[in-house]
Amino acid sequence: MSAHRLISNRTSQQALSNSDYTWEYEYYEYGPVSFEGLKAHKYSIVIGFWVGLAVFVIFMFFVLTLLTKTGAPHQDNTEPSEKRFHVSSFVADFGKPLESDKVFSRQVAEESRSLFHFYINEVEHLDKAKQSHKASGLDSNIHFQEVARSSGRLAEELNCLTKFNIPNFVNTDQNSSLGEDDLLISEPPIILESKPVNQASCQILD
Amino acid sequence: MRPDSASQIMRLLGQTRVPSFENISNLSMNSDCTQVVVPEEVFFTIAIAGILENLLVLIAVIKNKNLHLPMYLFICSLSVSDILVSLYKTLENILIILCKMGYLTPRGDFETKIDDVMDSLFVLSLLGSVFTLLAIAADRYITIFFALQYHNIMTLNRALIILAVIWAFCAGSGIAMTIFSHETATVISFTILFPFMLIFILCLYIHMFLLARSHAKKIASLPSSAVPQRVNLKGAITLTIFFGVFLCCWGPFLLHILLMKFCPFNPYCACYMSVFHVNATLILCNGIVDPMIYAFRSPELRSTLKKMFCCTRCTNHPSFRSTGLHVHSL
Repeated sequence: MSAHRLISNRTSQQALSNSDYTWEYEYYEYGPVSFEGLKAHKYSIVIGFWVGLAVFVIFMFFVLTLLTKTGAPHQDNTEPSEKRFHVSSFVADFGKPLESDKVFSRQVAEESRSLFHFYINEVEHLDKAKQSHKASGLDSNIHFQEVARSSGRLAEELNCLTKFNIPNFVNTDQNSSLGEDDLLISEPPIILESKPVNQASCQILD
Repeated sequence: MRPDSASQIMRLLGQTRVPSFENISNLSMNSDCTQVVVPEEVFFTIAIAGILENLLVLIAVIKNKNLHLPMYLFICSLSVSDILVSLYKTLENILIILCKMGYLTPRGDFETKIDDVMDSLFVLSLLGSVFTLLAIAADRYITIFFALQYHNIMTLNRALIILAVIWAFCAGSGIAMTIFSHETATVISFTILFPFMLIFILCLYIHMFLLARSHAKKIASLPSSAVPQRVNLKGAITLTIFFGVFLCCWGPFLLHILLMKFCPFNPYCACYMSVFHVNATLILCNGIVDPMIYAFRSPELRSTLKKMFCCTRCTNHPSFRSTGLHVHSL
């Protein structure tokens, strides 16, 4: 490969003993190059490349930080109490799996974090549904049932929420290969069971 | 003319004007842009440091059964490709030193074959590095966006199969590119591959980043919590470091290959190509930095390494005997 041949070329020039390498035209890199009449500085490509790279990286950094500052306007319309309830009920249950088994703690932490992101998506969906239904009640259970009736997809997502309510969710995660149908079948009783848990968590945080 | 007498003539004459058949070998002395030379001690130190660091990562992942996860398999694959790059550079330097000392003939059959093998090793490790970064990004993407089905999608067996496919493809490409290294198409495909992969990985990470940002905004809108500006900056800093390191370490080398193919006789290009060794050293530095930004960010891996070092240093201390047993049982 030409990169290696360049290296051989370089070394031979250093050693001055392997000029054999440089006689063949295919080891050509430093062919007849004249340095007369250069308009710009001779290292202009080097300087230009590094300056361009630095500018690009800094630009990328600023774009990423700007992404954090601008947000969608509809997120500001949600009721903070409702949101606090959703997030806090999850946070209360979130604490349980992490304390349980240290062998799985790392795995659980990662999954919990990723599931947390998923859950936050669902909070967003639920809030949007809430706005569309204009339900003003703060009873989350009624709200859950309303939303669950509205679409099958939201029912699936509720199952992920109720899954978080189960303390030993590592075991249920191993059973997750059963598929989503099983979760859908068992959905109504789980919603009823979530009521005392949610109320308890609400009490814990208040 | 034999190489020895050529060098003797040049030493005797001590001048730059030499017979035409030696003009090519002297052109870098003639030109204003002399080769920027990196001392070989620096080269070897950086290469060996990279190899040792990546070996540590491999040992830590093998020892700790908690780390037998797809995510850590991909990090191991990245460490393997970094080891291969550093090995390539080390072997090449050793061969060049042997050539200089006269133990190897410059254009022997054996040396040419070794050259080709090492070139394909280099392309293999380079491609392996890029594809592994892509696999790591895809794995993190699936973790976040398909969280519930993650364990079904990314099982350990599937991760092994993915890695096998990646390395087989890279080995095939390495051999093909070495055989067809003279073709323009090889160079173009090689250099175009990198920007495309980079842009794709960037898109994956930005999508993940947007989700994390919306999550942070939800938290921020809670009345009891402070606005986590630091968290958002941390994500931006992490992503910038990932891509900044990749670009700074591989970019110069890729530009070098492009310039070498398309404008070898241009004085500006020749001046850029004279800093080739700095660019090669940057690739070695990539092997040192990659474990820091991928592997050592995991607390489990760090604690495994601490246990390994504590074990070797404190085997006689009574309070560490239980941890020693614990580590051995992993």
